[in-house]
Amino acid sequence: MSKKVTIDPLTRIEGHLKFETTLNNSGVVTDAKCTADMYRGIEKALIGYDAKVAQQVTQRVCGVCPYAHAEASALALENAMGLKLNKNGYLLRNLIVGAYRLQDYLLHFYTLSALDFIDITAITKYQGKDSGLLALKDWVNKELKSGKIFPAAPFLPRYEAAYTTNQNLNISAVKHYLESIQAMAEIHKMVAIFGGKSPHPVAIEAGGVTTRPTVDALMKYETLLKRTKAFIKDAYVPDVKAVAKAYKEYFKIGKGTGDLLNFDFMPDENGENFLFIGGSTINGKFEALKDTKILESQKYSYYKDGKKDYAPMEQDSEHPLSWYEYEREQKKSNGKYSWSKAPRYRDKVVEVGAVAQVVNTYKSGHNPELNRLVDSINTELGIKLSDYNSVMGRHLCRAIVSLIVVDRLEKDLNKVVPGELGFIEKEVPKNASGFGFTEASRGALAHWIETDDEGLIKNYEMIVPTTWNISPKDSKDRAGAVEQMLIGTKVADANNPIELARIVRSADPCIACSVH
Amino acid sequence: MTRREVLKQMYAVVVAVGASSFLSFDDLLAMDKGEIAKPNLVWLHGTSCSGCSTSFLNVEGVPLVDILTEYTNVVFHPDISLATGHQVTDMLERADEYKDFIFVFEGSIPMAMPHACMLGDKPMTYWVDKLVRKSSVCIAAGTCASFGGITNMEGMVTGPKPLADFISYQGIKKPVVNLPNCPMKPEQLLYVLFYYLKTHNTPELDDEKRPLRFFGNTVHERCTRHDDFTRKKFAKKIGDEGCLFYLGCQGIVTKNDCPINGHNGNTNICIKAGHPCIGCAGKYFPRKIMLHTYDDKRPNERFKVIS
Ligand code: SF4
Ligand code: SF4
Repeated sequence: MSKKVTIDPLTRIEGHLKFETTLNNSGVVTDAKCTADMYRGIEKALIGYDAKVAQQVTQRVCGVCPYAHAEASALALENAMGLKLNKNGYLLRNLIVGAYRLQDYLLHFYTLSALDFIDITAITKYQGKDSGLLALKDWVNKELKSGKIFPAAPFLPRYEAAYTTNQNLNISAVKHYLESIQAMAEIHKMVAIFGGKSPHPVAIEAGGVTTRPTVDALMKYETLLKRTKAFIKDAYVPDVKAVAKAYKEYFKIGKGTGDLLNFDFMPDENGENFLFIGGSTINGKFEALKDTKILESQKYSYYKDGKKDYAPMEQDSEHPLSWYEYEREQKKSNGKYSWSKAPRYRDKVVEVGAVAQVVNTYKSGHNPELNRLVDSINTELGIKLSDYNSVMGRHLCRAIVSLIVVDRLEKDLNKVVPGELGFIEKEVPKNASGFGFTEASRGALAHWIETDDEGLIKNYEMIVPTTWNISPKDSKDRAGAVEQMLIGTKVADANNPIELARIVRSADPCIACSVH
Repeated sequence: MTRREVLKQMYAVVVAVGASSFLSFDDLLAMDKGEIAKPNLVWLHGTSCSGCSTSFLNVEGVPLVDILTEYTNVVFHPDISLATGHQVTDMLERADEYKDFIFVFEGSIPMAMPHACMLGDKPMTYWVDKLVRKSSVCIAAGTCASFGGITNMEGMVTGPKPLADFISYQGIKKPVVNLPNCPMKPEQLLYVLFYYLKTHNTPELDDEKRPLRFFGNTVHERCTRHDDFTRKKFAKKIGDEGCLFYLGCQGIVTKNDCPINGHNGNTNICIKAGHPCIGCAGKYFPRKIMLHTYDDKRPNERFKVIS
């Protein structure tokens, strides 16, 4: 007898996600369906707008990684303009997007994921003197005795499972869970110093960054960067390693296809020599990114156009299903089931994200510092590069990327010329087109723009990291990347399917991004 | 640290968000002893980007968790709650069992396409209707929830309604506070929470249901470049000194307190970052043109610039 296990909604991710799995007799997942449950329709709504509006609008695709959309959109328009930034332009943009990346990874690890591994109730046995932890201990104890309907919410209820019993790890991670909130707020300040505000920094425009970098702004950034670096080195990275050691089996759980895709991220001050090099690993073989052979299937997506697969920008309108058509699909056994589309790279289901950035850059041999770091971590944890294709591998790769990025920010900060504007004004070209590829926190991000004979937007398109990862089946009925990660997983207790939640959260899905 | 010291630290937050005029340190002590009941809080996302939740995490001074556990009982927040799957829908279905709860809503509600925002196989219209009816007061977090914002920009097909419109459309009478800003400023939400805690009421609101305390003036009126404006010293391009009016600044028609309370603990605001205000807290955000150059020759009649 097979059994269906549905998680709806999956919380502690961005947006509305439901997933449905089928378990066989032994509790192993044989089929999985991920449903992105929200639609706005931003890209085609942009048609007819001023091309410069695209940056401000598309960053609002996502309140968690707006920086990446702002950058991709600016890159697309710069590509159409044929514009190269000046040195401060590249550097300041790095200071914004690099910092934002760190914030996002702390958010993902502590706020969104850690409490799937860490036992928050361990706080009731806390013996130390930390005031924050004592306050939390008091509060939890009071709550548990309160007779409320849902005591200790938002921390309970949770999936009850075999959480780690390592008390030191539990307490240290809960402490950092609390502290990370302030650390993240400080990183957002770093973003705001040059971006104007955060989330949704206004200052990344086609042409560079509008903020003039004054000496005091640079110093303020430096102070915050030092504290951020300390938190990453002394709290975040050790916590990730400790969780990885406590849950070694999770280097084997949640395996995806192993095919990886990433784009270039963080250029030097000349717009070249990226910190992470774009490329793909297909069947274990790395290749630098040459072209982008992308086709998107809509066969299982809630749009009327499902007959063929489309290349980016091939469509200039979108046809979402009506409520009536939607209900009809729901009743079919093999109907459409997600607002997300299903992009495929060279006809492959690829995973994007930190693993792709780390593994592809490692294989490219382009960044020796990264290779040394990866080698030493692998020795310390007794794992291999192939183990990165897993739940724990994904968490670990975010930590690795953070270490590399934080060092780079220090270097870039020192290169900024104080007082010099990192912005070049250029008119929006008419009848032009451009693309912008970068890496968002969750992986490969691409924007395309086309302007009309007045310089207004004629067509716009985005293919977003989570679209790759959370995609439904494609026109050849191949399951999406996260769906494949779920298939083959053994669930110990179908009423508390923590294994499945851990897998999906390890991919850090962002539904607002994926569907936009 | 003693309990009293912890409370003192928390009181710093009360002062920082401007709530000390009605919430004293003694009130806080009373609350700690359980003499003032904490309201429950349920937070939901409609069609949103989660930016307002992310912004809320940036609240200054004291760890957010303390604020959440000391001033309110957070029954549910989509990005913080450990509850997953059916545990969530159970909690939301039992909303009528919570006495006195504040409903915070982020994003908007797609009316023409209810299937454009689903939770637990039910459309957002179902959940919002249910929760609003049981709540004591509703807070629209951010521009989407207040006015439609990005989700309702021209060209959208989902027919989104902001929270207050949805509520009156359903024929429900319920106090609503709009906190437009893209994203919402965490200090503003805290202020409204504190105000409610003390008075069981909403702060004084304007015609658009925005707290007058924050939305009584336009950005322009208190802008650091206002002097340039009156002296007709205008920037001709990004990076210039002077008022940004001719670069498309929306500060003139946007009510907000940015020049006084900027973003991220007053770290910066758009205009200081050399960028014209894009009117992110305004009713007509986003406009079809937001930034153009000083001598922009394009036929601007084609862009509807509503003011
Ligand atoms: S920059 Fe904008 S808000 Fe400031 S004075 Fe000029 S028009 Fe007004
Ligand atoms: S200055 Fe304008 S665009 Fe910037 S945050 Fe304030 S209201 Fe929004």
